[in-house]
Amino acid sequence: MTLQVAPPDVGTPQDSRATTEPQAGWLVVAEQESRDLWTSGRGLILLFLFSILLSAVTYLTSTNQALNFLEQRESVNLVLQLAVAVGVLVTLVVSADGISGERERGTLESLLVTPVSRRSIIAGKLIAALTMWFATFLVTIPYVWVLARGVGILGQALTLGFCVGTLVAIGLGSIGLLISGVCNSNKTSVAASLFLMLILFAPTQLPSGLPQGWFFDVLRRANPVDSALAYISSILVNGHSWTQDLSYLITPLLTATIAGGALVLAGPRLVRLMPGVNAG
Amino acid sequence: MTSTTVEAARLTKHYGSRSAVENVSFTASQGEIVGLLGPNGAGKTTTIRLLTTVLVPTSGDFSIAGHPSTSPGEIRRCVGVLPESSGYPAYQTGGEYLRFFARLYGLSRSQARSLAAELLATVGLEGRAGSPISTYSRGMRQRLGIARALINDPVVVFLDEPTLGLDPAGQAQVLDLIRTIAKSRAATVVLSTHLLPEVEEVCSKVVILHHGRVAGAGSVGEVIKTALIEQSATLRVPLDRVERARNVLAGFPNLTVDQVAEQPDVVSLSIDGAGTDAGSSDVMNAALAAITAAGIPVLHFELEGARLSDAFFKMTSEAVA
Repeated sequence: MTLQVAPPDVGTPQDSRATTEPQAGWLVVAEQESRDLWTSGRGLILLFLFSILLSAVTYLTSTNQALNFLEQRESVNLVLQLAVAVGVLVTLVVSADGISGERERGTLESLLVTPVSRRSIIAGKLIAALTMWFATFLVTIPYVWVLARGVGILGQALTLGFCVGTLVAIGLGSIGLLISGVCNSNKTSVAASLFLMLILFAPTQLPSGLPQGWFFDVLRRANPVDSALAYISSILVNGHSWTQDLSYLITPLLTATIAGGALVLAGPRLVRLMPGVNAG
Repeated sequence: MTSTTVEAARLTKHYGSRSAVENVSFTASQGEIVGLLGPNGAGKTTTIRLLTTVLVPTSGDFSIAGHPSTSPGEIRRCVGVLPESSGYPAYQTGGEYLRFFARLYGLSRSQARSLAAELLATVGLEGRAGSPISTYSRGMRQRLGIARALINDPVVVFLDEPTLGLDPAGQAQVLDLIRTIAKSRAATVVLSTHLLPEVEEVCSKVVILHHGRVAGAGSVGEVIKTALIEQSATLRVPLDRVERARNVLAGFPNLTVDQVAEQPDVVSLSIDGAGTDAGSSDVMNAALAAITAAGIPVLHFELEGARLSDAFFKMTSEAVA
């Protein structure tokens, strides 16, 4: 077989090829990463499993005798908290694969030699990981709608869940990418991220939450997941106003700002090949 | 007039106390194919990563197409790279893959689509544009990688082991493609490979690396000459003409002729105490000419010590000064 490479002809569209970094390089990366995430089946499988879990919880809260004692507001709160927890978990896991996974699959170097900046690559990957949270939230909407009928909190619950969940997802997604950038192997990165999630979610799984007292209050407020869920509860269950317990959002906000800022600052140093990777 | 497109000056890369590349210098011009040779761990991949801005040199300097190393963005716009053991997203099709990279270089969706189709045809994959990359053979993946390296119409194309793991037919296809890239696109090709005979055939210049240093550089002839390899040859003639051939060769005073054991129709020729210089080559040429002039049919004649592989093995088996 003879392979022929044609030189670029004068007057063909090749002449007008832009060879500068696209204005929205991050958007191109985000688009492709999201497509890979969803068309590969990873995202859809996780979402399917989540919808089964959510269906089970919704069914139980509606029909089970013991859980039926929950007020409607509490049922909505439970489902929203579950959505935030699972959505943030999958966002973290997907972002933990973002850089270390590309390194292991040998696809990172090809990306590094394009004109797209390393910050744009990171931004694109973070946005793609956040689509997991957005999809999780979309799946949750009908369940919240069913549970919130008659108590007039549907709009408030959805807005609250979306805002708080997005804030936590940005923070933990950024942490996931930071972990992925510094880890030598993908397994280490994903394992470290799951361990982090375990630490953050453990207090929320205690039968009656953390014990009372100033120490545990500080502990709750220091945990971005626990404090975000506490904020949702205070509004949906206790009927507080949005501004009354804003202090609960300090940690999620700080986490998103610091982790996001660290990504912006350290991005160019994180998106790199590890020494000795296939170096000959 | 061809211009210098790659200029590396005393490039050095250290990982802690370990030196991956030390004072590597060479140049390449437009349309030239430069073979970057060396044993595993010699620093070929590191050199390519330095020149493509993936790694930052510890010291030294380089320029690509006139852009200094201080402008990595400019350099990335004018180079195409096929990394060693490049991975491919299994779920993407060949067309999607190229369209994605085309868009990373700022092309619109429609431009990216037409360019991807054009490049897939260029590398002979037009019939598989819609197939997932996971269904491609290794050779097809390498050709897809080369297509991706051409997506920005680069001034310099870096190909790191493009024939690794390919069968002879696949190697021939890739080498043919490389030759055409340099000729038709007037691009400089920096080729890292272990296929020495092919390098000898394709490359106009070679750089031999050993322990991160340049052990030899220049045209193939210059490198062989630098290696100063003792030259010898084997000559095979019809069995009934062996004695006559020995008599003819006896007329060359500095040529030693020996019978090869268990091969009565083959004699070995060696030049006494000479290296590979113009004089010794002349002696071999003259000896061969004398044999043919005497009407002795030459069934086989092979010059040893005059091939790139001989120079390569000599240079990489010795400590670099």
